[in-house]
Amino acid sequence: MAQEKSVAVSDFLSKAELIKQGAEARVYRSEFLGKSAIVKERFPKRYRHPVLDERLTHRRTVQEVRAILRCRRAGISTPVVYFVDYTSHCIFLEEIMGSLTVRDHIASIQQSDSCKEQELEHLAECVGHILAKMHDEDVIHGDLTTSNMLLRHGLEDGESSLVLIDFGLSYISALPEDKGVDLYVLEKAFLSTHPNTETLFDKLLKSYRASSKKSSAVIKKLDEVRLRGRKRSMVG
Amino acid sequence: MHLTKQLELFPDHRVTQMLFKDVKNAAELRQSAVKGQISGALINPKMLVNPFQVLVATNKSVHLQKTGKMKTRSLYSEIIFSLSPTNNISEAFKKFGISDGDDSVMVVLVHSRDESQLLSDIAAKVDGLQIPVEDVSLLSDLAKIKKLYKVTPQEEKCGTLLDAVVCRMATKDVM
Repeated sequence: MAQEKSVAVSDFLSKAELIKQGAEARVYRSEFLGKSAIVKERFPKRYRHPVLDERLTHRRTVQEVRAILRCRRAGISTPVVYFVDYTSHCIFLEEIMGSLTVRDHIASIQQSDSCKEQELEHLAECVGHILAKMHDEDVIHGDLTTSNMLLRHGLEDGESSLVLIDFGLSYISALPEDKGVDLYVLEKAFLSTHPNTETLFDKLLKSYRASSKKSSAVIKKLDEVRLRGRKRSMVG
Repeated sequence: MHLTKQLELFPDHRVTQMLFKDVKNAAELRQSAVKGQISGALINPKMLVNPFQVLVATNKSVHLQKTGKMKTRSLYSEIIFSLSPTNNISEAFKKFGISDGDDSVMVVLVHSRDESQLLSDIAAKVDGLQIPVEDVSLLSDLAKIKKLYKVTPQEEKCGTLLDAVVCRMATKDVM
């Protein structure tokens, strides 16, 4: 019986449009129950022992789904989960229509001659605010980059809203250390993808500090992490 | 009136929803469903926001049936159970199944081809007025739905009530 199912999902995915392939998963676009959906498939890793592979993949799928729900409950926009298949480790998610990654948005603003400084600052403040909210819920994203943030154009007010995606490396933790590293990862990614944005990133952190209740410990950790890097020193 | 949708994951399965109001024989219907004389799920439409909610529950149930992981005895009871945000089976039946005094019912059928005979058989058993399935939103008891699924006001700011409900149904087994 278990076999038949895998066939159903793999048959389905073989007809779906592959949009991305990473080391951990493949991402497809397809129709699901009449809606456009994104399917994230964690395929088996042949280089790992099958039992270990199954456990790791299962745990990551569960963690991803949990983090998404936790964020949504706190009012942070993330894609809706439509269906999860724990046998083939596929997550069926809402496709965020008419969206643009924050990365592309910043790049296009920077390219246009009339550099809209204010617009960028507003965006940085929004990001800082959302991340503060997420960390206050003890969700650690694990892979914060500007490519994992989407801008969705609001239907009514015309104001665009931020949607966080790809919780594949996320987990729950209340430790300032983990939150500090989360911000550090973003800082590294942000400054390397977007040149000359140091002041912009400071704006982001300022907004984070203002929005989060537990920010002082986190920022302190961030300063520590900056000196030593993402990995904790095991000396002494 | 009714709404039939093929499941993309299981192309030989179709789901048909039929909605009735002014139903007078709810007790009798419930009895026959319990005895297994009705091959369909009888759902309390007050707990439904949108037909999509039923599709999500049915897709999950068919999937669990195929993988041999159902928590209840039949596909139709599994559909009712899948609608519930909790893992309590009897509570799911109480809240999402129909009760004797109900005056409306959503019938959900899973079949292979166009089976108009099956539909008319069911329609003949229900003593009520069939209305378009899309009208289910007119019957929903929003306050009760929000309470049962524990939807917070801040969550409604970042998405619709349907989004919140579907998310909880899809993820309840790991919460």
